[in-house]
Amino acid sequence: MPIKIVILPEKNMQPVHKAQAGTFESSDIMILIEPLDNDGDNHIELSSSVGKQFKDQINRDITELLQKYEITGARIIAKDKGALSPTIKARVETAVLRSLDKQQGTLK
Amino acid sequence: MSFENADFREEVLDISNPYDVKFVSEFLAKLDFEYNEYDVDYTMVLYNLNEEIIGTGSFKKHILKYVAVAPKFRNTIAFSQIVTHLMDKLLLEHKHIFVYTLPRNTELFQGLGFTEIATAPPLFSVLEFGYENIKTYQDYIRKSKIETSSRPVSALVVNCNPFTNGHKFLIEKASRESRVLYLFVVEEDKSSFPFEIRWKLIEKGIAHLDNVVMLKSSHYVVSGTIFPSYFLKNQPENEISMKQAELDIQTFIRYIVPILGITRRYVGTEDYCKTTLAYNNAMKKLLPKSGVELVEVPRIKIDSGIENQGIVSASKIRAAIKNDQLQEVFPFLPEVTKDFLLSSESEEIKQKIKEGEGRH
Repeated sequence: MPIKIVILPEKNMQPVHKAQAGTFESSDIMILIEPLDNDGDNHIELSSSVGKQFKDQINRDITELLQKYEITGARIIAKDKGALSPTIKARVETAVLRSLDKQQGTLK
Repeated sequence: MSFENADFREEVLDISNPYDVKFVSEFLAKLDFEYNEYDVDYTMVLYNLNEEIIGTGSFKKHILKYVAVAPKFRNTIAFSQIVTHLMDKLLLEHKHIFVYTLPRNTELFQGLGFTEIATAPPLFSVLEFGYENIKTYQDYIRKSKIETSSRPVSALVVNCNPFTNGHKFLIEKASRESRVLYLFVVEEDKSSFPFEIRWKLIEKGIAHLDNVVMLKSSHYVVSGTIFPSYFLKNQPENEISMKQAELDIQTFIRYIVPILGITRRYVGTEDYCKTTLAYNNAMKKLLPKSGVELVEVPRIKIDSGIENQGIVSASKIRAAIKNDQLQEVFPFLPEVTKDFLLSSESEEIKQKIKEGEGRH
C-alpha cells in the first residue's frame, strides 16, 4: 500500500515569515506570501495574463486553499501566467507550508 | 522548436575564478554587455545538454543585472527560468527587487509580473517586483499627509551627511514660506553617517518647526546612487546622469506629487558636484511642466575666520573630521550635530571617515 503523508492543518494559523513558491514560466503561477499586521483578514493581490476571463476562478482557488489551512492575516501576491486550478492550489499550498516552516524552500 | 525544462542546466558561476568570469564576459560581449564581476554579487549560467551557453543573469544587492539570452534560444523558456532562479535567491533576503532595462525590453519583464515605475526614453526604464512596491510607499506617505487647502505645499529632499546650519537654514526658509513642508530624508545608506543618526539629528534640529513632516525616501526619492551605466557604455556620461535624474523626477511627479498635493519643491544651489547639477537641471526641465514650482536657494555663508571657507557644506564637515580639525567647522554646525560629534556615540563614524576615502 502506498504511504500517504498528511500534514494536519492547525486552527487559525498565521504565516511565520515570508515565503514563495512557483515560477515565472508559462502555465505556472508565482505565489508570494507574508504575514500581515492586521485583524486577521487575508489580502490577495492577483495579476494574471488571463485575468479578464479567470480572475474570479483563480481568486476562488487561492481562497479555498487558505480556508483549508485556516490561514489568517496573510498577504498573498500572485503573478499568474495561465496556470490551471491544480497548479494554483499546489503552488499556494507549498507557499503556505513554507511560510509556516513546515516545508523548506529548495534553495534554503 | 521546443525545449523541455530539463534540457537546461542551471549553474552558479564562481565569480572569484578568472576563467569563469572570462567565459561569461565573452558570452555577454557578443550581446553588447560589458560584464564587470565587481558589479555583481551573484551570477548564474544556463546551459543545455550540448554544453552550449543559453543565457545568464546576475544580481547586485536587490537589483537584477546582465540578464541575457542567446538569440537562438529566445523562443524558449530560458528567460523566465533565469529570472525565476534569481528571484528564488533574492526573495529570501529582499522584499523588493528592481531591474533597469532598455525601454524596448520592459515588455519582457512586465510579462513576468514586474511593474514599470518610470521610463526615461530612449535609454532606460526601471521596473520593480516583490512584497513591497510603490503602492506600499504611497500608503506610507498618505498616512503622514496633512490636509490643507492653502498653499504652497512644499517638498524638500535632504541627505544631511551630517546636518549643518546650511540644511537648517534651508529647511527653516522653506518651512516659513510654506503651509506644509514635506521633508524627505534620503534613506539609502551610502553615506558616512547612517540613516538613523541623520534622521535623529534632523528631528532634534527642527523640533521648533511645526509645519514640517519628515518622510523616509525609500527607494523612490533620490536613489540616484544606483547607476545602470553598465549597459550604456556608448552614451556620453552626462547624458546618463541626466536620464537617471529624469527617472527619479518622473517617479516623484507621478507617484508622490498627486498624493501629497505638492506645489513647490525647494533645492539648494550646487557648486561642485556634477551629478547633483545634472539632477537640478533635470528638475528645471520637468517640474514646471507638471505644475510644481522650483525654488533654488543659494547656500548660506558664515564667517568662520577661515579663508575661502565661508560656504556651508556637509563635505567640508567630513573633511574637517578627517583632518582632525573639527573645532574649525563648529560655526557651521547646529547644537545637535556639535553635541553628537563631541559625544562618544560618534567615535565609530569619525573613525570610519578618517580611514575612508571618496566623497560621501
